[in-house]
Amino acid sequence: MSDSQANYDRYIGMTGEPKVAHMPLERDTLRRFTQAIMDPDPLYHDDQAAAASRFGQVVAPPLYPAHAYRTPAGAADPFEVFSQNPDSDGTAGNEGMLYGLPEIQSPYKRLLNGGNELTFYRALAVGERCVVTPRYADVKLKEGKNGFILLVVVETTFRTEKGEMLLVNRQTLIWR
Amino acid sequence: MNTLYFDDVTVGQQIAAIDKGTITTTHIMRWSAAIENFHRIHYDQAFATGHDKLPGVLINGSWKQHILIQMIKDGLGPGGWVWKLNFRYKKMDIAGDAVRGTAKVTGKQEAGGLGFVTLTVQLVNQHGEVSTAGTAIGVLPLRGGKEVPYPFVEAPEYASVQMPVDE
Repeated sequence: MSDSQANYDRYIGMTGEPKVAHMPLERDTLRRFTQAIMDPDPLYHDDQAAAASRFGQVVAPPLYPAHAYRTPAGAADPFEVFSQNPDSDGTAGNEGMLYGLPEIQSPYKRLLNGGNELTFYRALAVGERCVVTPRYADVKLKEGKNGFILLVVVETTFRTEKGEMLLVNRQTLIWR
Repeated sequence: MNTLYFDDVTVGQQIAAIDKGTITTTHIMRWSAAIENFHRIHYDQAFATGHDKLPGVLINGSWKQHILIQMIKDGLGPGGWVWKLNFRYKKMDIAGDAVRGTAKVTGKQEAGGLGFVTLTVQLVNQHGEVSTAGTAIGVLPLRGGKEVPYPFVEAPEYASVQMPVDE
């Protein structure tokens, strides 16, 4: 099989439209989230403790914004897929990691997670909505001893609606 | 929790640990429901082992990343800041596996009136096998120095602080 970097250069730097989370951060969503990661930190639920902290108010754990995008109320039920295919894997309705970026067209079918690089600036506070902007930071074709691999770096930048940086997540996807 | 100062941290020191015990299918279901990820490999034993040929119901990587962050955050204390974290998944964990972690200091550096500590971090299972590994940079106040600013906005003085190369 032949392939060339020229097939992928057009993706490098491609940036998606900023997406605003459907809902602001709510206390009960936050409770369920922090109970599930078993983190009893009072900053995530206790107004007094949070007010006395650097945050000044109840906030979410650092990487919460990566989970702030879910099926909005009123949208088609993604589980309708089960009426067509009872063996569906259940991922219908998941936002995935591309947040609206077009999928890269390639002949490679196997996907491995090559790791994440996170940088944290600020926590999302109760009542705030986050805004995510996805970007293909890099797309690199490499030839290894077992054929080609395509290294894709998806960089997702989360901000507040006022534009303050929350975090950047650079995730490397390895297609082979 | 008391403030941890940069001055009190030494290279080689373990500054954080976490132990979530044995993670059951019920824990995994609670997480999957909390984030509304309904992928059946996380709660449907027959699907996970039959359809996807996995050894069991998978503990979500998305969950484990928060455990790493929680450990570093708690280790640095209320005056510290988890600035950067690079990590990779090394091994799958399934229901019935334990999830524990440690963070060790590999380097220290002052910049811009703040203390930066580089860390190696990992999560292991009950057999001591590493499932998740990475490196991190935490920010700590200097004793008698300024507080770590919030939000933690990047400044040119911090440019010399580099993430150690992942082994």
